[in-house]
Amino acid sequence: MTSSPTPPPLLAVEALESAYGAVQVLWGVSFNVPHGQIVTIIGSNGAGKTTTLNTIIGVMKLRGGRILFKGEDIGTLPPHERVKRHISLVPEGRHLWPRMSAEDNLLMGAYQPSLRRDARRNLTRVYDLFPRLKERRSQLAGTLSGGEQQMCALGRGLMAEPELLMLDEPSLGLAPKLVDEIFAHVEQICKQGVTILLVAQNVSYALQMSETAYLMETGRITLSGPSRSLATNKYVVEAYIGKA
Amino acid sequence: MTGARLRIFLPPIALLGVLLLLPAFGIQPNAVRLLFVTFVWMTASIAWNLLGGFAGQVSFGFAVFYGVGAYAAAILIDGGRLNPYLALVAAGMTAAIASVLIGLPTFRLRGPYFAIATIGVSETVRVVATNLEFTGGASGYRITEPRPFNQAEHYYTALIVAALAFAVSLFISRHKFGLGLIAINQDEDAAADTGVNPFVYKLKAHAVAAFLTGVAGGVFARYAAFIHPNGVFGFPISVQILLMPVIGGLGTVWGPVIGGVVIGVIEEEIVAYFPQVHLLIYGLLLIVIVLFEPGGILGAIRRLQRWVRRIRDRQAGKRTADARSKKPDEVLWGAGSGPGR
Repeated sequence: MTSSPTPPPLLAVEALESAYGAVQVLWGVSFNVPHGQIVTIIGSNGAGKTTTLNTIIGVMKLRGGRILFKGEDIGTLPPHERVKRHISLVPEGRHLWPRMSAEDNLLMGAYQPSLRRDARRNLTRVYDLFPRLKERRSQLAGTLSGGEQQMCALGRGLMAEPELLMLDEPSLGLAPKLVDEIFAHVEQICKQGVTILLVAQNVSYALQMSETAYLMETGRITLSGPSRSLATNKYVVEAYIGKA
Repeated sequence: MTGARLRIFLPPIALLGVLLLLPAFGIQPNAVRLLFVTFVWMTASIAWNLLGGFAGQVSFGFAVFYGVGAYAAAILIDGGRLNPYLALVAAGMTAAIASVLIGLPTFRLRGPYFAIATIGVSETVRVVATNLEFTGGASGYRITEPRPFNQAEHYYTALIVAALAFAVSLFISRHKFGLGLIAINQDEDAAADTGVNPFVYKLKAHAVAAFLTGVAGGVFARYAAFIHPNGVFGFPISVQILLMPVIGGLGTVWGPVIGGVVIGVIEEEIVAYFPQVHLLIYGLLLIVIVLFEPGGILGAIRRLQRWVRRIRDRQAGKRTADARSKKPDEVLWGAGSGPGR
């Protein structure tokens, strides 16, 4: 894990502040996501992980700080401009459109005019990755199983041909066997060259599969480093993993 | 492909053709009036469905657009100030502008809160209109046109306007704009995540709907030659406009058309003999629909089609399996999930 004279990171978040009305949630959050890596943000409920992702995609306005994507400050752009720059978010709890077919859900991921041109190609790519979705393409998304729904949400995220794919709790509410399957897919997606920012409460899993990790507590980054070292950090183990 | 296209476009075109030729066969003035009123309602119904059915934003305030359109048209047509058809376009534009002004604050609200806000706006507008002097206040506005009354002209105007509204609705349902609206309807946050701007999309749908409703109001005002605030701005108008798509089939292309016919007939035929009984009928219809067939009349028709198909399949014995796998979820009339796919 050398990181001194390397090129600038794909995403650099600097002193990010974000608030819901009067309630400030993020207090100067800074972190980097280098090209091609899986970076994870771990932390407990209410730490501000989801808010961070929502601020990066732009559905939440930032109150302070900068978001640099490939060196460009995207912090004030509307969400669709950020999607056009190939950032996509797979939101927590999947948020599929229950009464649209699986395929329409996927196509919605390429809704922006600039993305539509390649929608067919990307659809093929998603179906190659998740053959199961191809079988279920005309089924209403609300009637898919939990695992299939998560695949569909992942697929929708991929339809924007992301350079940065942000995953918010992709294992939420899934059976352990399916969790394995989803995370295997995430690693596969990363191998195809997609940089991944993963937010998860499943701390041990997240640390296992990522290279760099940040620990977030009450809206601040309190610990960061290579995931391997965080996994053995005494504080992290006691507070988040538990002794085996 | 062409077969599917034909099935979508042929029925409305054929229907329009029949309706265009109808007056040539000399039907009764009463029947013409019934059809005229039905077309006016149908237009408002189709318009409301764009916002309420596709985008899922339930508004109780469409009387505002109906009334604004009616008054704008009335003032412009009165005394031959403007060509009546230009006046109708102007009426629609005025209503569309009103919709943006109303939408800017109210679309900050979601779900029931939006619905409640539209009631407030609508009542405010009614009270203001009742006290506005240049529109004649509560005593209403009389329109005098410097040309003789021609029932056929009104009939054709209303028919063309309704056909236009239908075309707009069909276009949107097959266009990516419609898909965006349905996405907002089903999960607004996810829509925003994929780069659909829910606020702007709602404003646009609202404006298109308001334009059509305003034109409908104008068409009616010109025909009636007299309008008053408690009539065109009244809360019952809002409720009636909302009821039609619900009765016919919310979020579908044909539902609002069917609903418009139902309400038109009730309004014109039943009210004439039993005043006030229509309210009872609306109430009953609503209860029956909510309890038994949330898809409205169109939903009931589709259910019937499925029954028929199932019975036919059963009689054909072994064919059942492949018949079903061939047509997993055939959607006959618009709607479904991805419109036009």
